Amino acid sequence: MSTLEVEGLTVGVTRSPTSILADVSFSVPAGKIVGLVGESGSGKTMAALTMMGLLPDGIELRSGSVRMDGRQLLDPARMTVSRESADMAMIFQHPQAALNPTMKVGRQIARVFSLQQGAGRSEAMSQSIEMLRRVGIPGAARVAGAHPHQLSGGMCQRVMIAMALACRPRILIADEPTTALDVTIQAQIFDLIRDLVAETGAGVLFITHDLAAVAEMCDSVTVLFGGQVMEEGSRDDIFRRPRHPYTTYLLDSVQKEVDPHVVEAGVDFELVGCRFGHRCDYAWEACGEVPDLVAVGEGHRSACFLHTAEVTRAGAS
Amino acid sequence: MPALLELRGLRKTFGRGRRALPAVRGVDLDVARGETVGVVGESGCGKTTLGRMVAGLTPVTDGVIRFDGSDLDGTSASRENRRRIQMVFQHPAQSLNRRMTVGAMLAEPLRLLAGAPRSETAGRIEEMLALVGLDPAFGSRRPRQLSGGQQQRVAIARALMPDPDLVVLDEPTSSLDQSLRGRMIALLRRIQEMRGVSYLFISHDLGTVRRIADRVAVMYLGRIVEIAPTRELFDDPRHPYTRALLSVAPTMDLDDVRERIVLPGETPSPTDLPTGCSFQDRCPLVFDRCRSESPVLAPVGSYRLAECFAVAPASDA
Amino acid sequence: MAAESMPGRSRRFVPPRIDGGAEALPLASRKPLAVVGMAILAVYILLAAVGPFFVADPVATDPVNALLPPSFDHPMGTDNFGRDVFARAVHSARLDLTLGIAIAMCAMVIGSAIGVVAGYWGGAVDETLMRFTDIVLAFPGFVLALILVAVLGNSTLNVGVAVTAAFVPYFIRLTRAQALSERELEYVDGAKLAGNRSARVAFIHVLPNSLQPSLVTATLVAGWAILTVSGLAFLGVGIKPPTAEWGVMVSEGARDIDAGHWWTSFFPGGMIVLAAMAFHFIGDEFGGREA
Repeated sequence: MSTLEVEGLTVGVTRSPTSILADVSFSVPAGKIVGLVGESGSGKTMAALTMMGLLPDGIELRSGSVRMDGRQLLDPARMTVSRESADMAMIFQHPQAALNPTMKVGRQIARVFSLQQGAGRSEAMSQSIEMLRRVGIPGAARVAGAHPHQLSGGMCQRVMIAMALACRPRILIADEPTTALDVTIQAQIFDLIRDLVAETGAGVLFITHDLAAVAEMCDSVTVLFGGQVMEEGSRDDIFRRPRHPYTTYLLDSVQKEVDPHVVEAGVDFELVGCRFGHRCDYAWEACGEVPDLVAVGEGHRSACFLHTAEVTRAGAS
Repeated sequence: MPALLELRGLRKTFGRGRRALPAVRGVDLDVARGETVGVVGESGCGKTTLGRMVAGLTPVTDGVIRFDGSDLDGTSASRENRRRIQMVFQHPAQSLNRRMTVGAMLAEPLRLLAGAPRSETAGRIEEMLALVGLDPAFGSRRPRQLSGGQQQRVAIARALMPDPDLVVLDEPTSSLDQSLRGRMIALLRRIQEMRGVSYLFISHDLGTVRRIADRVAVMYLGRIVEIAPTRELFDDPRHPYTRALLSVAPTMDLDDVRERIVLPGETPSPTDLPTGCSFQDRCPLVFDRCRSESPVLAPVGSYRLAECFAVAPASDA
Repeated sequence: MAAESMPGRSRRFVPPRIDGGAEALPLASRKPLAVVGMAILAVYILLAAVGPFFVADPVATDPVNALLPPSFDHPMGTDNFGRDVFARAVHSARLDLTLGIAIAMCAMVIGSAIGVVAGYWGGAVDETLMRFTDIVLAFPGFVLALILVAVLGNSTLNVGVAVTAAFVPYFIRLTRAQALSERELEYVDGAKLAGNRSARVAFIHVLPNSLQPSLVTATLVAGWAILTVSGLAFLGVGIKPPTAEWGVMVSEGARDIDAGHWWTSFFPGGMIVLAAMAFHFIGDEFGGREA
């Protein structure tokens, strides 16, 4: 059963044919951690912002559907995801920047309780401290009285998580939650996210560029490049049986030297067809069009003409 | 033959009095000719300050930096030696002057440090661009016309221009996309083979250090807590901090079944250190002695040292 | 070893691209006021550059034709000495624009050189320079210029020097603030390691990177400088009659208004307003909104 289903999300630059996300689909089942992985410019953060209804000026949602348990969250008239109806909360890469610097952190979390449940001031405050305790902050009552700048990055990320949990989200969107943190603190945050999934049954959309973090945390993975879904599948599919040339290249690049042409070419959003085309060793004329995602295994899909070509070739011989 | 670089009791304290912040608290370290020594540690461990002291960008509070047999202390002989120590910084875009062309930037060290005649500059610049894998046409471009990877290549080229014997590399790959990192490491290794230059490679990323360093020093709160040949350090870490650090570094290997050691709490503030070992509050092996005495680096095998009473019994102060 | 990043491999697949793509909007629709400002300025510069060769002598008197209203022969009329107002206004454009731009540029060069010294070295040098600019900035620029002209004497050169001095502190402040943040960037360390001594780091590396805010302000200051120069002339402490200068003309023409001879002061006054406005539009639209 899927909790969050995103289909055909297309996001572009206003008054320009360029699309930053092209027909992106993925789903986040309850109690699972789904990785959305890609390099900078792959559109992974844009996907998160779209779902939170937080698209920046000059970027427009063109089409798509975002459903929670079958209920449509996307308002077709305004072409935005309505924030009130969403059971989604988000945590960011730079928690210190995402928290209000002038308000004590306990108060910031308490406000969520007041707004959501109409809890009274002291009631909300005690719930807030309880929440801080739950995310593993020692001396929660003392930390509740601190301003964000008095806390370390790891502590602020815990506060962000506590605040996100205060909304009782069905889906937690974590955008590079540990990229700015040290590895020993990252381990603590990973443990915390895993515990929370087990405890609350919420689904997590885990957005990152770090493949190792994906291998460690996620149940299934969607690989993005240039705003297009390249491949999706279970963690085992992606890491043990990658099928798309981009996924293979991405996995190789971490381990060994790869072709310099591929590496430094970056993303070109004005290309027609497969965005990986100009960096791909296998590209040929067919790649001037966008390949469909085709099944290459049980729950494992990849968008590359190589797969269909294999089928044709096999059929012809 | 003495090592190329010898650090003895190196210290740096920022500020004075009660607000004094000891960033580096007595570091002994040797770097041999053609050797790469990795320095790893989490934010605030003093690794960058250490690198900047070696490069002469941050004045030393106490201790000795001996380079090629002579002390670097501000005499004219030490100034000449400064030419032979160069540095590459973390943020390639920030470390290049955005109003200068690549060619002008590369010409500076050549004219100002090596005293090369004008007639030779163009040829030497072209040669250097080729060495770092850039076309000569890049000479007339400005930093913002280059990708992050290309900018870092230019920064490396500038550092190599005066033909240094030692290059301090401060997180040279951490602001690059993961797929670019392997490429940059390969480039640095190739340069080392061709030029015999030594590297002091500073990073928080264990994976990167593992692929380039001959020996690795692990820093915690301004001190080296363990130093060992790379292979031995990664295969058999001794210091409890190193063990925890290695155990929680995410890996793409799905078959990896390490026992994760998640350290409790956070690195204490260097302005308020406990008596005894600075790692005591997070250490799984802590015992009485650690709270009263400070350990020093002591042998824990051939060619390797650790600073811990529990694993290196000889580590008396 | 061959350079490897630039040339593509021959077998590389070259995908088609979207036509048109994201074309930049024309400047006129992004920054309409700046375009208006530039258009006005272009007319002024043309007038200042070639105008004086085509119009009558600006100081030649002709009492017979005094105080004629605007006509085909005298587009802006004549003043009480029978001088052609248009000829005087055109000659004045050359003087005032030159003064405005020169003052802005001199103030910028001097101010940013001092500013970068203060910002880059900091410490006692900075402290001293900042207290000095605090004192100077406590006076409105116009009053300061007025005092200086009174001390120096009112030759055209002295007026220029006085007005320049009044605007220098603005540039010191701006450049210092920028240099303070620039000196923390890694490229400064990179420049030191490349063998630059501190003076070279400050002037060759930090200064060019700290000029952006000053360049914008310089445009505004050019406008303010024209206002100040003509303002001083109007008060009779700046450039002296019979020099053709907008402020002098307004000052002289003001006496004619009561008698209904509005044109002797209206046209030069309008020229001042338009010039100051043009500079302001350009500086305002390029400052801040798009660095």
